[in-house]
Amino acid sequence: MEGSSTPLTQNSSTFGIGIHPNDQLPNCFLATGWDDSLDQGDPFESALSSMVSSPVAPHAGEGEAGMIRELIGRLGSICDSGQASPGSYNHSTTNTPCYNTPLNSPPKLSLSMADQLAHGGFPPPGSHFPGHPSFVPVMADPGFAERAARLSCFGPRNVNAANLNGGLGLNASEFLGKQANKLDSGRFCRVPSSQSLRANVGSQICAQGNERSFLQPGVSTSTPENGEMGESREGSSISEQVTHGEMRANGQIDVNSRKRKAILKAKARNPAVSPQSAKDSEVPMENEEPITKKIKPAETDGDEKDATKGNQKQSKENSKTAEPQKDYIHVRARRGQATDSHSLAERVRREKISLKMKALQDLVPNCNKVTGKAMMLDEIINYVQSLQRQVELLSMKLSTLNPTVDFSLEAFLSKDILHPQGPLPNSLYPVDSSGSMLYAYQPPQGLMPMPSVVSSNMDAQFPVNFLNSGIHRDASLNLPLCVDNYGEASAPAPALWEDDLQSVVQMGLGQNEPQRVEQGSLATSQMKVEL
Amino acid sequence: MHSASSIKQKFLKKWIMGLQLCNSSKKNMTIMERRKAIKLSADLALASVRNCTTRWSRALVASASQNDDNQALLQHIIGSDAAKHKKASIDVVANSTTSVAKKIASKKILKRSWGIRRVRKLSNVALKDPPYSIAKRLVKKRTQLLKNLVPGGESMDAISLIEETLDYMVWLRAQVDVMRSLARASERLDGK
Repeated sequence: MEGSSTPLTQNSSTFGIGIHPNDQLPNCFLATGWDDSLDQGDPFESALSSMVSSPVAPHAGEGEAGMIRELIGRLGSICDSGQASPGSYNHSTTNTPCYNTPLNSPPKLSLSMADQLAHGGFPPPGSHFPGHPSFVPVMADPGFAERAARLSCFGPRNVNAANLNGGLGLNASEFLGKQANKLDSGRFCRVPSSQSLRANVGSQICAQGNERSFLQPGVSTSTPENGEMGESREGSSISEQVTHGEMRANGQIDVNSRKRKAILKAKARNPAVSPQSAKDSEVPMENEEPITKKIKPAETDGDEKDATKGNQKQSKENSKTAEPQKDYIHVRARRGQATDSHSLAERVRREKISLKMKALQDLVPNCNKVTGKAMMLDEIINYVQSLQRQVELLSMKLSTLNPTVDFSLEAFLSKDILHPQGPLPNSLYPVDSSGSMLYAYQPPQGLMPMPSVVSSNMDAQFPVNFLNSGIHRDASLNLPLCVDNYGEASAPAPALWEDDLQSVVQMGLGQNEPQRVEQGSLATSQMKVEL
Repeated sequence: MHSASSIKQKFLKKWIMGLQLCNSSKKNMTIMERRKAIKLSADLALASVRNCTTRWSRALVASASQNDDNQALLQHIIGSDAAKHKKASIDVVANSTTSVAKKIASKKILKRSWGIRRVRKLSNVALKDPPYSIAKRLVKKRTQLLKNLVPGGESMDAISLIEETLDYMVWLRAQVDVMRSLARASERLDGK
C-alpha cells in the first residue's frame, strides 16, 4: 500500500509514507516516539486507503481538475488581497511540512523545511502523545485552542480541538471559518441553508478538489495557492484519520464549502432551505461526538509545556494574520457580539426555529410572499384552522349523507380489509377520471346497476381504485406525506379548496334531507367541474 | 418512508373500521352523533396511522380516551397497542386539561389575527411600544394560538411546536384528502 504510486493512496497512507522520506527530514523530526505512533497509525491507513480510493478513484477528469485549479487560484487571490503579507501564508504552510513532506517533492520540501527551521518552533511530533501522530502537534498547541476559544467560544473545548485537527495548516481566521462551518453542519448554526446545501452539492466537487490537490504535490509551497491546497489536503487527510473515515466527508465539506464561500461570496446567504440537507448535516454531528471524546484524553495526556514553548511564535503570527482576514468572513462578523454560551445557544435555537419555519412556509400555500414571523404564523394558523374546519365539515357532510350508502360502502371496503388481494393494474380502469370511479365503485346492495365492465373481483379492487382516483385527482397538489423529508414538502397552493369548502357548506348545512339528494347531484356536477 | 397513497389507504382502512364499529354499536344515531363519530374515528385513524409517535397523535388518542364511550372505538382502531399509547398520552391529558382558560383568551386573538384589522391594531400599538416588543408579542400570541390548534401543543416548546405543526399539517392534509374523496364518492352515489 505504501509503495503504490498513485497520489491518492499516497495521501491516504500519508503517515506510512511519511516515514520513507525520513532521510530528507531534519533530525529534529525524527523523535523517538515516532515509530510507536506509527504503529498506531497503521490500522487507520488500511481503512483509510480503502475509504479514499473508492470515491475518488478513476475519474480524474482533466477539465474538472482544471476547473478546481482555477477555483483554488481565484480563492488564493482573494485571500491574498485580504492579507497583510504573503509571508504569513508562507508561515501557515510551514506549520505543516512534516505532513506535507511525503507528498511534496524533495526540493520544494527543503524550501519549506528551511522556513520551518527558521521559525524553529515546531515541536517534535508524535513523541508525546499516545494518540494518533497526525493531530498530535495540533493537540499539543494550546495557542490554537485558546485562540479558537477566543474567536468563538463554544462550550465544549473538544469541538475546538477537533476543528483544529482538521485544519492544521490554516491560519486563525480560517480556523474561525472552519469552526463555523463545523458548527453549521453540527447544529444548523450560522448559515444553515447555504452551508448544508453546499455540503450536498459540493461533496462531489470536493472530492475532485482533494484529488486535484493530491495530484499536484509539487507546486511551490511559497504561493498562497499552494497554501490553500495544503490546507485542503491537511483538512481532509487529518480529519480522515481522526474519524477513521467517518468524518472524512465532513472535513471535505468544510474545506470545500469554505472555498465555495469565498468564491460565491456575493450570494452568501442562500434563501432556499432544504430541510433534507439539514438532516444530512445532522449526521456528521453525531459522528463528531465520540471522536471529540476520543481526542480529549490524548490532549490531556500530552506534554503541553513543550508544545507551548514551541508554538508561541506560531500563535502570535497566526493572530496577526487573523486580523486582516476578518472581513473575509463577512457573514460571521455579527458573531463577535455575544459569544457567551447562553446567547450562543439562544442563537442556535432561533436558527433552528427559523429553519423549521421556512419548511412550514414551503408547506403552507401563499406563505412565500409573507415576511416576518408573526405573519407567517398567521398564515400557518389560518391554514391549520382551515384544514381542521374542512375535516369538521367533511365529517358533517358524510354524516348527512344517506346512511345506507355510507355504510354499505364500509361493508364493501371491509371485504378488502378482510381478504386483501393484490391490486389489479390500473390500466384496467382509467383511474384518474371521475367516471371511472363510478364504474369502479359498485355498491353490493344494488343501489346502482352493475356495469358490465366490472368483473367479479371488483369488490377487492374498489378501494384501491377509489384511493387512486383521489390521489390522481390531487396529483397537482402533490401531497408530501413523507413527513421526515420536509424538504420535499413544497406543495403548490390548493386554492380550489375554498370553493370546495363553499360547496361543502352548502351541502352540509344548507339543506335538509329531501332537498339534499337533488343538491347532492348538483354539488357533484360542481365538483366534476373542479376536477 | 411510506408513499402518500399507501398512507392514505391505511388511513382509509382504519377509518372505515372505526365507522363500522360505530355503525354496529349504535343504530339510529342522530346526525350530530354521526358527525362526532365520524370525526372521532377519522382522528383516531390518523393518529394510529401515525403510530402515535408524534405528540399530536398521542394527544388525539388521549383526548379520545378521556371519554369512556370511545374506549371500544379506541381499542378497535388502535388495536393492541392501545394500552401503550394510553400510557404515553397520560401526560398529554394532564397538560391539556389545564389549558382551557387559555383557549378562551386565544379565541379573541384569533379574531384579531384575521385580515387587515391586525395592521390597524399594530399601528396603534406602535405609538407606545418599541417595534421589537410588538413583534415579540405578536409572535407570542400567535404561538399560543398555534399551540391551541395543534393537539397536545400546550405542553410544547417553540421548536417542537413548529415541528409538530409541520407534521400535523401534512397528515391533516392527507386526512382531508381521503375524507373528501370518500365524501365525493358517496355523494356521487347518492346523486344517482
